[in-house]
Amino acid sequence: MLEFLQICIGGLVVGSIYAAIALGFSLVYRVTGAINLSQGGFAIIAAMIGYTLGVSFGWPLWVAIRAAVGVTVAIGTMIGAFTFVPALARLSNANVLMLTAGLLTAIEGAALVVWGSQPYAMPPFSGEEPLVFGPIRVPTQAFWVFGATALCIAALWFLVAKTKLGKGLRACAENPSAAGLMGIDVPRMTLLSFALATLIAAIAGVIIAPTTSLQFDTGRLFTISGFVAAAIGGIASFPGAIIGGIFLGLATQLATAYISSLFSTAIALLILLAVLIWRPSGLVRGGAGKRQDTRDEAKAVGHAARLPVSLAWPLAALAIVIAVLVPFVVTDNGILSGLVIAGILFMTLMGLDVLMGYAGQVSLGQAGFMAIGGYTSGYFSINYELAPVLAIFAGIGVSLVCALVLSVVTLRLRGLYLALATLAFGLLVDSCAVGFLDITGGPSGLVGIPSFSVAGFEFATPRSMYYVVLALDVVILLGLAGAMRSGFGRALKAIRSDQMAAAALGINTVRYKLAAFMISVTLASLAGSMYAFFFNFLSPEMVGTGRSLELVAMLIVGGESTLVGGLLGALLLTLLPTVFQPLAIYKTFASGALLVASFLYLPQGLYGAVVQMTIRLVRPRGEAPKESAPKTTARAL
Amino acid sequence: MAMTGDHANASMEQASVLSARHLTKSFGGLKAINDVSFDAAPNQVTAMIGPNGAGKTTVFNLITNILSKDAGQVRFLGRDLARMSAVKIAGLGLIRTFQSARVFPGMTAIENVMVGGHRLASHSGASQTLWLRGARNEERRILRRAEEMLELVGLAPFRDTHATELPMGAQKLLEVVRALMAQPKLLCLDEPAAGLNDTETQELANLLRAIRTLGIPVLIVEHNMSLVMNVADRVVVIDSGAIIAKGTPSEIQNDSRVIEAYLGSENDAAS
Repeated sequence: MLEFLQICIGGLVVGSIYAAIALGFSLVYRVTGAINLSQGGFAIIAAMIGYTLGVSFGWPLWVAIRAAVGVTVAIGTMIGAFTFVPALARLSNANVLMLTAGLLTAIEGAALVVWGSQPYAMPPFSGEEPLVFGPIRVPTQAFWVFGATALCIAALWFLVAKTKLGKGLRACAENPSAAGLMGIDVPRMTLLSFALATLIAAIAGVIIAPTTSLQFDTGRLFTISGFVAAAIGGIASFPGAIIGGIFLGLATQLATAYISSLFSTAIALLILLAVLIWRPSGLVRGGAGKRQDTRDEAKAVGHAARLPVSLAWPLAALAIVIAVLVPFVVTDNGILSGLVIAGILFMTLMGLDVLMGYAGQVSLGQAGFMAIGGYTSGYFSINYELAPVLAIFAGIGVSLVCALVLSVVTLRLRGLYLALATLAFGLLVDSCAVGFLDITGGPSGLVGIPSFSVAGFEFATPRSMYYVVLALDVVILLGLAGAMRSGFGRALKAIRSDQMAAAALGINTVRYKLAAFMISVTLASLAGSMYAFFFNFLSPEMVGTGRSLELVAMLIVGGESTLVGGLLGALLLTLLPTVFQPLAIYKTFASGALLVASFLYLPQGLYGAVVQMTIRLVRPRGEAPKESAPKTTARAL
Repeated sequence: MAMTGDHANASMEQASVLSARHLTKSFGGLKAINDVSFDAAPNQVTAMIGPNGAGKTTVFNLITNILSKDAGQVRFLGRDLARMSAVKIAGLGLIRTFQSARVFPGMTAIENVMVGGHRLASHSGASQTLWLRGARNEERRILRRAEEMLELVGLAPFRDTHATELPMGAQKLLEVVRALMAQPKLLCLDEPAAGLNDTETQELANLLRAIRTLGIPVLIVEHNMSLVMNVADRVVVIDSGAIIAKGTPSEIQNDSRVIEAYLGSENDAAS
């Protein structure tokens, strides 16, 4: 019983922090209709700055902490003004969500550059000595956490419910266009909500820092826990966020204590998936549940870049010839390995493009299927000496079964909730990869995976693997190009832009979405297996959530709904760090920053830019495409 | 064709394409649709008219199961549509358009029309993936028919223009030919003239007449009187959720209840 109470106190501490972050999610969601994943990043930045000022520079803790929060909010507001606010005006909410995922990645990357990858420990504010209540010991920091959270909640409630500014925020939440007509500066309110969320996150970050160890990517955990808490409680409701946070904190702490620390995340995520199935809008329903539909409508789907057919075929042939010749020119094994990795990721990216670019289904957990494929085929080829090709099929089979189970949830969800469910799935796979020691080798990875081989011929060198991957890529690309340029692709695009109109023309939306999902899962699983065979090793972080986010970045940077765009993104983000070794540490930062920049300034991606350049080169000068206003004349038959 | 054959045909197809019986729908306490029954006859343009808020679009949504009925039955080509999904209904050949033009953004005009051909395409995604000859031929057939459709409404020069960049009138026409591409057994148009100027409305009327000569029955919801009087064979007038008159356009034009519903009583009109 005592032990139980002790654990509950721990749960309340963590839960308070989750609640605070969830409150930030809820605030931004209610005002803008979008999800801001970058908050956890700000929490960790604030904690890191606090550590540097307080411990490294020896400032008094009080000053250090306040300065850290201040600096973080200033940074956050700047970032919000230049990315989040303009993005909201142009992008659909699902894309804004991915943009903020990019922000989170960029912040993590920046933290990696500044603070390195070692963990830091902040001293507690009021000494190490816990307070003793009879047999129960409560660390003093717990009171700081409770106090700060309560203060945040009270201040936010006062601001929203009692002030004129709060009225403006609430008006934006109800109806942004009407609020704008009434003279409320909607972009300013958006920025305010973003800044407030950053403030809450920063406070949460510095307050919780002494009870945990800080690392550049701890922020991701804050974001995810806060997000999960908000989703469990009901994202459109402040009380829901608080209840969800406390609930999640207690559940994970109890699970850690009584089941296993390895599965605490898994349990949190199972709770989330259960809530998503049972009550997609969360335990507490808020008043602003319809927001995302009303805002999304106006924002048209972007146009994908297309090469004219007369150019596409010759260029594709040329590209293949060049690709075949590359290993004769490039002899450096490092670069060749980089190309192989890019080629393997390209398989996943083509599938992701069918799912996201064509069918419009956001997936933030695609690397989860790489993990399932990779671990399954690795496990079977190590323990049962299964031939790699068969092991690949085994991996695909297991992945498809998991995908079918997941699609029970996802087919009912759209937009933000879909993104959330896939993210949760990816994390679930993550924590299983860490937890199932016997199968996956746990955190240190699965070692001794054989190289890829067909009928006794082994592809052990990067060069031989290069051709295997190239051949697979070409075959997959040709097949998908065939399907995407025909009725199948058209049906997917129609579903992406208007489900109801598509259904009214007889397109079975459920079946097509499922098909796109299965294609993406098959390819991700295949890529995961090839990845494992290529490295002879697979560890959780190689195919973790970081990878999922990186895949999204590659796709967007390369260019959505183009199939080939992903290759450009993959090459850029794998080759650059390989070629310029000193840049390797900037890789995370670059993938996040490039994702954000592409969304804002290069909506057709690198591929779009390349296509436009090619067209300009080929077309003789002065022959600009003429387009006058269409005149419609219905000629009688 | 011999007269006798025509007559035989007509009597065989006497049964209506679509028959709605006793449709009723309430929103909260408000009875939006009250006991509405009507038929759409083969080879005819049936128009449903009524003032704003009369419940025309609601009837449409009840027919296509976008809204659920409180009571009543809809039969299409003899089949009860109860509990059928939108996809299934479209599969039977009942194709509808939407009040606000819902062209697919991110797709060109020709792609939009080609989506309409989806219902009749028989080749699977797998055969498209393998670039099989049959799938490629079918694709070419769909493309050719889609081009004819664009030709029909004079949009051929804009085949590669993104649909959302077309003016409203063109988008509406595009939506109609997209539905036509699906070879409907009944074409349901929800206020196709809303947002069109006079010339565009005239073009729409020409298109509707052309569709009728193709032998495709049309059910049209509209409150543009002149368009309806121009093209409709039968008119159903609905006001405050109930049918107040049925008949030919000329009968309707002289019906006092209709005039009252549309123009208000004489006193109202004067003020």
